Amino acid sequence: MNREITTATVLKTGPGSSVQDLGRWGHASFGVPVSGILDLRSFHWINHLLQNQKNDAVLEISQPGFTIQFDSPTSIALAGATASIKLNGQDTENSGLIPIKRKDILEIGGISAGARIYLGIRFGFKTEKILGSRSFYEGLTKISQLSKGSKIPYSIDSGATPIYNAKARWSVDWYQNETIFVYPGPDFSLLKENVKEKLLNETFRISQLSNRMGIQLLELLENELPELPTNPVYPGTIQLTSGGKLLILLKDAQVTGGYPRILQLDEESQWVIAQKKPGDLIQIKLKKL
Amino acid sequence: MEVKPHYTAISPVLGELKWIEAPSDSLLSKQLGWIDFLKKEWMDKFIDIRQGFTAVSILWNTPDDQQAFQNQIRKFKVRPFDLPSRTWKIPVCYDPDYGKDLGALAISHRMTVNVLIQLHSSVTYRLHFFGFLPGFMYLNGLPNQLHTPRKSVPDRMVEAGSVAIGGSQTGIYPKESPGGWHIIGRSPITLFDPERNPPVWGVPGDQIKFEPIDIEEMEKLLEKPPFPQY
Repeated sequence: MNREITTATVLKTGPGSSVQDLGRWGHASFGVPVSGILDLRSFHWINHLLQNQKNDAVLEISQPGFTIQFDSPTSIALAGATASIKLNGQDTENSGLIPIKRKDILEIGGISAGARIYLGIRFGFKTEKILGSRSFYEGLTKISQLSKGSKIPYSIDSGATPIYNAKARWSVDWYQNETIFVYPGPDFSLLKENVKEKLLNETFRISQLSNRMGIQLLELLENELPELPTNPVYPGTIQLTSGGKLLILLKDAQVTGGYPRILQLDEESQWVIAQKKPGDLIQIKLKKL
Repeated sequence: MEVKPHYTAISPVLGELKWIEAPSDSLLSKQLGWIDFLKKEWMDKFIDIRQGFTAVSILWNTPDDQQAFQNQIRKFKVRPFDLPSRTWKIPVCYDPDYGKDLGALAISHRMTVNVLIQLHSSVTYRLHFFGFLPGFMYLNGLPNQLHTPRKSVPDRMVEAGSVAIGGSQTGIYPKESPGGWHIIGRSPITLFDPERNPPVWGVPGDQIKFEPIDIEEMEKLLEKPPFPQY
């Protein structure tokens, strides 16, 4: 299908805004991180609303103030974090489908729940594909984050899309829960009993040190484990660093690591943790296989 | 006698084969044997395989795929993989201009800079796997005399191509990055090119040898960074 390509222009953005799809699978053997969407639940919802392909690329935005202008008509959809949204200066729905006319300006204001907003577009954003994915990653894609003036290609859609569920509500209850479910990681058994107990009974806080590579927790754990041979890690692996810090790996994390791999988040908890912001509390609960 | 690796399911779709022995050529050939076996016999059942020094992890398509693998693992006969015999020659300029920690590292090991360079460039290293950054090679074989604890305060920025020592390892930074290893030189070669398929030139099991070059040659090669020769 050859649809006419147009562009959206970023007028304003904080750091860390990027284009993401399902990621770059099958290249870990070259040391390439998988990258891709952190909160898959919001991503699938958006592409479902827009009647897109499963892997169509969306924008991932984690700072308020993001403003974008569309050159041609289309439909967009928002999910993930809750923010105040303005279309051409007027307050508008902050989730679900939004019809877009030529030269419309969308502005994302203050975030009231969650940490990452997803903005999808009919037929997906069409930035370059590198190793099978449009997901931004430094050194692979030409740019690693959006900045003021960035032009993002997309396909014109002059309104033929039947907007069948425009009023569908996006609930954010699913990520408000503090419980994060984990499986024991490959090195969990090396931990002393009192450390395991602390890990599974105390409440931890998300620190400021959090990006697409990983989330560091504020509270420290005792770590007397030796340095281990470098072995595979995955998104959702929790490493215990030599300084006793807990590091939850996310999609841009390296593919191998030398710190003990003490826990592995279950899939849905990876989406939940992606919507946690610095200061949020989590409790780690062990899940049986 | 072939000792079977231990398989542990980590999540319903993630598990790993683990060997309780130190990284070595013989362990690597066992790991590569299992990866080869998985690619041939279980190809459409997994999404991703990752390799480390003592483990091989598998991300399965479905929990049933993992279950089927676990149920049958005792029956598999997996032959160790014959390691390739090629040795890549990697030019390295061991000049203080490019290896800013060379002098301090030599002093800390009570040896001259020339002896350090000689030790680092006289042996061959085995490429075990890629990790850390796209195109970063995990190499085994650093002489014991050169083992050095990582820096307590990592450098904020290490130049692409920097050749470095950290712990019992040596490696080349494929791109500019923060790093905690001691920088002893720089190589002009390209380690990762996303425009090429595959984006790297080496494969696990290959051997690597560093060849000292002088500043003039380095500057010439930096104008058009080559892929290495073997």
